[in-house]
Amino acid sequence: MSKRRKISLSEEELVLALKNREKIAIEALYDMYSSSLYGVISRIVTETAIAEDVLQETFVKIWHSFSAYNADKGRLFTWMVNIARNLAIDKIRSKDYKNQNKNQELENNVTFIDEQRNTVYNPELLGVKDLVETLKPDQKSIVELVYFKGYTHVEAADELGVPLGTIKTRLRMAIMQLRKHFN
Amino acid sequence: MEDIKAYIESGILELYVLGDVSPAEKLQVEEMAAKHPAVKAELDEIERSMEAYAKENAVEPAEHLRDRILNSLVTNLADDATFDKAPQSSAAKIVAMAPQKTNNFYKYAFAACLALLLASVAALISTYNKLQDSNTQIASLQSSNSQFAKTVSLKNGELEVYQDASFKFIKLQGMPKDPHAQMTVAWSPARKKVWIDLHSLNMPANDNAHQYQLWALVGKNPVSLGVFDKTADTSGMKEMQPTAYADAFAVTLEPHGGSKTPTMDQMMVIGKF
Repeated sequence: MSKRRKISLSEEELVLALKNREKIAIEALYDMYSSSLYGVISRIVTETAIAEDVLQETFVKIWHSFSAYNADKGRLFTWMVNIARNLAIDKIRSKDYKNQNKNQELENNVTFIDEQRNTVYNPELLGVKDLVETLKPDQKSIVELVYFKGYTHVEAADELGVPLGTIKTRLRMAIMQLRKHFN
Repeated sequence: MEDIKAYIESGILELYVLGDVSPAEKLQVEEMAAKHPAVKAELDEIERSMEAYAKENAVEPAEHLRDRILNSLVTNLADDATFDKAPQSSAAKIVAMAPQKTNNFYKYAFAACLALLLASVAALISTYNKLQDSNTQIASLQSSNSQFAKTVSLKNGELEVYQDASFKFIKLQGMPKDPHAQMTVAWSPARKKVWIDLHSLNMPANDNAHQYQLWALVGKNPVSLGVFDKTADTSGMKEMQPTAYADAFAVTLEPHGGSKTPTMDQMMVIGKF
């Protein structure tokens, strides 16, 4: 199994190439960010086939609306992950998706529930395990909800039963913690 | 600078990076970042850490997905190269036309329905009128038919008088009151039938207060055989009351409805066997 060599560019180079609509920019974009984006998408949309569709829609949208991206306003990934998260949330809130879930076979539901309960060992989440240790449980839950479940902070406050102000503080503390961890 | 610090600590920058702000808040954050390098630096830090966090949580998509997605983008790339930006605007025009089309369809459908309705109503009205005409015709035909039937049965009766050999015809002659008066009576003693011929009747028309009365004289006794009228258009024959015996027939002018005994001085005609 010969692993394909992944293309990697600096963010500035990549942005320039994308603006010039170069073919290599698409490949580089995919190689550099598909796994990070798919990590977010696949936690919101648990069904693999649909999550893959959302990833494709995400790249199509990034490619088509790239002129809307302004490097002065923020990093490329921040812009892209918001597109991915919004598409994923749109998908799970769509009528089709809800109907599809209603009609799921019992067999499928067993694995679906298992996935939801995290009783199955998922090697892809191995890295998170270490990281989670750096976050306190209440910080972790808010980051999980907002970053990986696509909740707004208002919805998260409702879900966790804490005031909006507390949610904002906790979210800030959690991200401070992550900053410390990554630097 | 205190304001900036409080702004940073409010948590709005984190929400901005997570895409969880209103459009107004978004503009405000972007304005603040452009104005204050400290805000911009903080934003950058948050973005980098979230990006690193996402990388930690990365899930490698299936290998086959790469070709599928890249191909779909390259197809789009080719389209973009071929048509530049024109296809988008023309596509937008087509979208705008579509609802117009459906609107027109319903307009035409409605107009067609209306026209059909009017045509049906017109057809219905004319059919109804024809039906009314037919009904009137049937009614008049029926009444004339029954008139015919009546006439035919009457004529049959009259014809019988001439065909039946038992009938005797007696000419009644005028009396001194009106010497020119004349009348014909047909009598069948066997069948006891008495008819008078109104057509050949030659007597003045009676007024409303009087009627002519026919008598059969049996021996010396007069027997009433009923009354009749003479008007300008009297025609045909009239059947009178039956009698088996008669020596003579006579007609007198009597008050309306007839009398029990004949008024002898009002005798018009008489005829004997």
